Amino acid sequence: MKKDNTNINRRQFLISSAVSVSALAAIGAGVGFLKKLHSANARTTNHLRPPGAVDEDDFIYGCIKCGLCVQICPIDAIHLAGISQGLSYGTPYIDLREQACDFSCDSLQCVETCPTAVLDFKQFEEAGGNAITEYQKTHDVSEPGFNPFKVQIRAMKEEVKMGMAKLNVNTCLAVQGKGFTGTPRGEYFKGIYRSPDGNEKKASPLRDREFKRGICDLCVTECPIGETAIIMDDTGGIFKPKVLEGCTGCGVCVMVCPTENPSIIVEPLNQESHV
Amino acid sequence: MFNRNKKKPPIAAKPIAEMPHSLLGQDYKVWCKSQKGNHKWRNIRWTVLIGVNLLFVLSFFLDLSFLEGSLSGSRAMGFYLIDTFNALQVVLISLPGGYFPSLTMNFWIGFFTILFLSTMGGRTYCSWVCPYHFLAEMAERLHDFLVKKKKVKEHSFNIYLRFVFWGGFLLLALLTKNIVFENLNPIGILSRAMIYGPGLILLWVLALLIFEIVYSKRFWCRYVCPVGATWAITGKAAPIRVKFDHDKCGYCRDCQDVCLVPHVLWFVQRGKATQKTHYAGPDCTRCGLCIDTCAGKALTFTIKGLDKLI
Repeated sequence: MKKDNTNINRRQFLISSAVSVSALAAIGAGVGFLKKLHSANARTTNHLRPPGAVDEDDFIYGCIKCGLCVQICPIDAIHLAGISQGLSYGTPYIDLREQACDFSCDSLQCVETCPTAVLDFKQFEEAGGNAITEYQKTHDVSEPGFNPFKVQIRAMKEEVKMGMAKLNVNTCLAVQGKGFTGTPRGEYFKGIYRSPDGNEKKASPLRDREFKRGICDLCVTECPIGETAIIMDDTGGIFKPKVLEGCTGCGVCVMVCPTENPSIIVEPLNQESHV
Repeated sequence: MFNRNKKKPPIAAKPIAEMPHSLLGQDYKVWCKSQKGNHKWRNIRWTVLIGVNLLFVLSFFLDLSFLEGSLSGSRAMGFYLIDTFNALQVVLISLPGGYFPSLTMNFWIGFFTILFLSTMGGRTYCSWVCPYHFLAEMAERLHDFLVKKKKVKEHSFNIYLRFVFWGGFLLLALLTKNIVFENLNPIGILSRAMIYGPGLILLWVLALLIFEIVYSKRFWCRYVCPVGATWAITGKAAPIRVKFDHDKCGYCRDCQDVCLVPHVLWFVQRGKATQKTHYAGPDCTRCGLCIDTCAGKALTFTIKGLDKLI
């Protein structure tokens, strides 16, 4: 009697194991299929990865979806993707048009806090360290005004490569020779950023700002990186913002662009086009 | 299956005169139900469970920086904590991908902290923190009610099925280079839904709960969840245990009825115990339901090793 029981148990176990193994295989196949389908267009203009993100294929696998980057971001630029994003479900993304990354945290905290290195901090650490060493060679560091932190932050910021801004010449106000007066995104827009020229400690809402420009150059003046990233090209009397190699893809230009559809977008960098 | 104590010859069952109810001079049935309504440990546990999950939510909403992240990975006052099964998958994937060296120090701190805690308390996390456990506990009541009304039939499986899933999910992670399990993990899904806002993925959790209600009691926790299975393995020699005292036992088996993993209490049946004291096995979630329900107070929480010193 007892032996029979064991046999039934064993048979049951084998059957249920077989069922579960095939279920797992089905899940695996599904994931493989989704991954093939998905990874090509995972990063889009409105769906950029936070700074320091590794290749998309590696990103999905390494991210444990804990959301620490979401929580640490002082301007709430990072969100977790929904199920509509397929395998990217639960992974962080930035919608630049709604809230760009303006480096308000001053130390790339989302990257620093990531426990699994899919947001890889090493490159920024190195860039920051190198910048200080370089700075010491050419400057007198014993001055009381010397702030190594500023040099380091600057270098870390410039190391970011979320994407590359691209101008749409058809809708750009500057190209049409138009100016801009008022508040770019209306009075209900929630996005915030820190003005690059002023000495603001904290980011403030875009809706509280008034601009008055003869030729619209918001994307140029509000860029947190400055003239290594974007300049106003006025050759031949036609004004045209020109994106340079230094662009980090932070998206402040996208957020402040006053046209209904942004006249400047950030194209994500994928494996091939990574500079 | 892997229990040495279970293979020993059983000790003699107590005669009726030595049973705890006879010593008290009570009727057996009255004695058995004497602890009905005692929910001391359950109430403490639910408070802790809700409290921990609330802390996660409040830390984000009020920007407290006290307990950041979610249950798959978090920072408690700057100190990293990472779910062991998740971390195992990350390590497994990082090896062929060549990403192993870039795993951060914080990752290892989080990994080993939880690993250490689980070697102390095994699956304690399951019933004291896991939000899915809480929902499943409610579903279990509904299921029991429906079984009692003969509306549904109970289906049980072999508990070692968990290890098939455990190995399977690790293999899947390795093959697909994707933390597959985290997409299905109801713990992570619920935790994220609470902290970052709900999404359609909650339907998966609902489907699991419905399956547990109409088909198999506690299906996910008992037969699938590799998170719990990991800690059942690492908590094999955990000192924090539920201790069983044969002298106080009345063989009523109420404890097995309320237990999520009844096989850890195999020794409570008449004539099964092989020694005077037993400790519940590594699958035990230390939920304390058996302790609340035990009429003879034969079951208690204890720290193995320390109890002998005192």
